[in-house]
Amino acid sequence: MTADPGAAGTCPLCGAPTTVSDSFCESCGTELSPPMASTAPPGYLAECPVCSVDPEAPPSAITAEGYCESCGRKVPSGRDHSELDLGLLAGVTDRGLRHTRNEDAMALAMASVPGGPVSIAVVCDGVSTSPRPDEASLAAAQAAVRTLLTSARRGEDPAEASLAAVNSAHRALARLGSPGEAPSATYISAVIDSEAVTVFWLGDSRAYWLSTGPDATRLSTDDSVAEELVARGAMGEAEALASPQAHVITRWLGADLAEPRPHGVRFEPPGPGVVLVCSDGLWNYRPETAGLAELALPAALTDPLGAAAELVKFALDAGGMDNITVVLALFPPVPAEPPHPKTVPVRRLETLPRRTAP
Amino acid sequence: MTESGFTVDVDQNQYLPEGGREVSAIATVTSAADAAGLAGPGPEPEGSAEIIIIDCSGSMEHPRTKIAEARAATAAAVDVVRDGVLFSVIAGTNLAWPAFPADGSMARADAASRAAAKQAVAGLRAGGGTAIGQWLELARQMFAGYPATLRHAILLTDGKNQHESPEQLATAIRECEGVFSCDCRGVGTDWEVNELRAISTALLGSVDIVPDPAGLAADFAAMMQSAMGKQVADVALRVWTPQHATVRFVKQVAPTVDDLTGRRTPAGPQAGDYPTGAWGPDESRDYHVGVEVTPAGVGQEMLAARVSLVANSPSGAEVLGQGLVRAIWTDDEALSTKINPRVAHYTGQAELAAVIQDGLEARKQGDEETATAKLGRAVALAHQSGNEETAKLLAKVVDVVDAETGTVRLRKQVEDADEMALDTRSTKTVRARK
Repeated sequence: MTADPGAAGTCPLCGAPTTVSDSFCESCGTELSPPMASTAPPGYLAECPVCSVDPEAPPSAITAEGYCESCGRKVPSGRDHSELDLGLLAGVTDRGLRHTRNEDAMALAMASVPGGPVSIAVVCDGVSTSPRPDEASLAAAQAAVRTLLTSARRGEDPAEASLAAVNSAHRALARLGSPGEAPSATYISAVIDSEAVTVFWLGDSRAYWLSTGPDATRLSTDDSVAEELVARGAMGEAEALASPQAHVITRWLGADLAEPRPHGVRFEPPGPGVVLVCSDGLWNYRPETAGLAELALPAALTDPLGAAAELVKFALDAGGMDNITVVLALFPPVPAEPPHPKTVPVRRLETLPRRTAP
Repeated sequence: MTESGFTVDVDQNQYLPEGGREVSAIATVTSAADAAGLAGPGPEPEGSAEIIIIDCSGSMEHPRTKIAEARAATAAAVDVVRDGVLFSVIAGTNLAWPAFPADGSMARADAASRAAAKQAVAGLRAGGGTAIGQWLELARQMFAGYPATLRHAILLTDGKNQHESPEQLATAIRECEGVFSCDCRGVGTDWEVNELRAISTALLGSVDIVPDPAGLAADFAAMMQSAMGKQVADVALRVWTPQHATVRFVKQVAPTVDDLTGRRTPAGPQAGDYPTGAWGPDESRDYHVGVEVTPAGVGQEMLAARVSLVANSPSGAEVLGQGLVRAIWTDDEALSTKINPRVAHYTGQAELAAVIQDGLEARKQGDEETATAKLGRAVALAHQSGNEETAKLLAKVVDVVDAETGTVRLRKQVEDADEMALDTRSTKTVRARK
């Protein structure tokens, strides 16, 4: 990093000067770049999108529960569609067209550390058959991103931090649940620093490495029946995904699980590109890496938020059968620099030893 | 419990298939167990007025114990009237006259007025005909002279409404609707179930047979006790529906079946009130609400109805509680085809009441085939839903061959009292477990 510490800015609360490596204001203690999550601003739209189309109709009130007093329709809430933009990474989540609420959640953070910025993304997809899946996904994502951000600021190992984050998310779900009630969600985290991408997951939310080169690849493998069928060589991917059991997940994060057993990989990209983290609401319509890279690039390299919005629109146009969440993060996490000088030609996808979280 | 002391809980399957229009829900209204927790003026004695209407027609002398027990029952009810409550006793024949106070006013209850009332009642003699419309009309006029909001009457008869036309009775009932509530009792077996049911339904009260006059006193005391517990008058179920939606039906389904659909009065845009009468503490009633809505797309959610409990008073309407009936359209058949057990239960209980009444009517007309089919269906429904009281009453009218399938034979010899008990109690339901 060559940035001038004096140029970093001022605390938004007290106005005291800050440096880029400050996580908290030295003067008042305010967190300078707190994590962001796809929480809903409280309340619903102020007018009914159906009734307000008719210019003749008198404006109707929206009830406290979010229904139009005239036509009775539920109006969208803030959680239904949410966009987060941290510059180097951005995400968009949407309810889709067939579900009544958005049970996906995402949480993003950016740590400013001496080695350069670290981008952090967590995406969770609530398990619809469990109670309160929308609360589960959000609680898990928020707990995990907080742990990852704190660890990144301390310069801790991303893989260790990722395991700790899974445990934080698990504890958050345990607090949410009760005996006989186990809110559950899929889980995937990505930590992107100047050297590598570290991905940990449970379930079938995915991470991809997208680049214009031949190194583009899927980073995660689904914990799903379909993926296991493919892995065993029982079926091809297309056939497996079409099978009725395709979306049955074999691992997830839930209040009723004794200990989460995530998978993890550390990937060193050979050059610049973007990391895509998404729920199955996107990849169901375009599972192959090349196809996703074609949709996202090159726009994602300069405009992660715009590209994420385009990918969500693609899934909506394709049917929007599920909730859709798309996060795009630049690698390396450095804003608008000339092409990366690294010339390591070899693609390295190193699978971390499977381990039980402590 | 809410601040008002009332809760409205809605139970339904909110999922509809694509294009589905019919939404059905059970709304359970419950009042606080503690009287102090209830909204309204509270059990202020001056807010309550009670009239006991006692049949003094000539047939009450046959057997003589009838008029004697009716006098004793009236005295027992008078004993239960709380201090300060307005009360009176009407004697009815083909005319109606004030038995107490003799000047046609209402007395304020205290030890002296209760003793005077009992003395007046002890002097009642039987003689003359039966014109129930006249009795109701006199009660209406008496209530109208006082500002009490909780107005309740007990009506006892032993015979048919012979000395006025059915139209005269119907007009009198209509005039009394909304003015007071009325519990009806038929003593012996010479009265007409349909006549008393018409009164009790319109006036939001109960109806029952007292086959043996000896049972009257305890029954009267219990009815008066229950009336003394009422606290919130003129409570309505207000049903709001979205534009272009229609209310298919609103029925009370527990503790008894009572179809309120035709009793709607408008209550502002897109809403109507259905009367539920007066409420006391620790009451719980279930209502079945059916709404037809314009379908929205799969994935859309709609508020299909808002069911509120509203207390109407001269100062305006107070909302005591509310529940939401939702509709969510889904292409997941496992969700949309799921039958809500409580909706199914009460659909069965309403059918049970209907097939008993139809079956008894067919039996009266001599149509044994229809009677056997309807009462057989009733036996099966009562058996499946665990409505043991009704099953017992049915077994006195038909011989049950197989309760599960509803195979029955009509009994040749049926006591009138058993048939009338089955008819009057056909609307009693058993509660569906949540």
